[in-house]
Amino acid sequence: MEAVAALERDAELMLRVRAGDTTSFALLLERHRTPVVHFLFRMVQNQAVAEELAQEVFLRVYRSRERYEPTAKFTTWLFRIATHLALNWIRDGKKEKGQESLNEDLIEGVERQVADQQPTVEQEMLYEVKLREVRDAIGMLPAKQRAAVVMHKYEELEYSQIARALSCSESAVKSLLFRAYETLRARLSHMAS
Amino acid sequence: MECVTKIKDSAEVLMDYGSGALSAARVAEVDRHIEDCEACRQLFAAQRALWLEMDQLAAPEVSGNFDARLYARIAEEDAAPAWRRWTRRLFAPAVPVAIWKPAVSLAATCAVLTVGLMVRTPGASEKVQQQVRADHAVDIEQVADALDDLEMLSPGSAM
Repeated sequence: MEAVAALERDAELMLRVRAGDTTSFALLLERHRTPVVHFLFRMVQNQAVAEELAQEVFLRVYRSRERYEPTAKFTTWLFRIATHLALNWIRDGKKEKGQESLNEDLIEGVERQVADQQPTVEQEMLYEVKLREVRDAIGMLPAKQRAAVVMHKYEELEYSQIARALSCSESAVKSLLFRAYETLRARLSHMAS
Repeated sequence: MECVTKIKDSAEVLMDYGSGALSAARVAEVDRHIEDCEACRQLFAAQRALWLEMDQLAAPEVSGNFDARLYARIAEEDAAPAWRRWTRRLFAPAVPVAIWKPAVSLAATCAVLTVGLMVRTPGASEKVQQQVRADHAVDIEQVADALDDLEMLSPGSAM
């Protein structure tokens, strides 16, 4: 019930943005900024690039406000824009360009997270290694499989929403996910033991 | 429940079991099946383990100046001339537009029209006609020569 209300609220806010209400745009930004940046970060694995792409996502939302029609869930539309930009970025080979800052970003993030729990140096190193393995395993997936996994696992989107974001059928999404998880299980199997 | 390792469509059950999205009744059904099926027990355990491992991939906090940067870009965009805003909308739509579909249709139509015009071109038609006339003239000459040869060879001509 709460989820439905939230979805309706998104559409309502966007309709207000269409009518020229900038406060509603600020509310939408507040609600979706973090999920969009996190989705893009897991796609491109670089914080600076993820934020740059997220800026472009919200800029495109703002730019399209006059033509907005609540035909689909707002989040589906939002993730469709984000997926399109992320896939384009990966396709254009910009990955190499941003790779240098990748480790710095991630290590910084890990340190911040680990510092809260005050672990030993050994635990810290182990955590870092595991994190890197998970990141690399996801990063090695084909771009479309990666997008499907990130939306499914981390953004908890429904199969139908992922299908719309990737412009494919639901059965194609399930197939993409099945193959992706199969690959990840194989790559990370040693971590479970 | 049918074995997930043998039924392709059951992949969704495996993924939902791993993510915890499966209903309690379905989970109980899977658990009952797992008790007797070693292959499924391993597969479902591996999926659950993967799910937990993936939880570790945390994403960093969003920069504090994210909104300020965005609003600066929006202000810049709003201040831009109308033609520039229109161009941006055209070349950077919010969601991808499949422009290749009408483009392919247009290209195919153009190709058919081009071929049609080439075949029906007056110049090309004239060339064909000239060739036919030349071939016809050669045929008549050959027949005349053949008749002459026959006449020479016939017994009456030797006399």
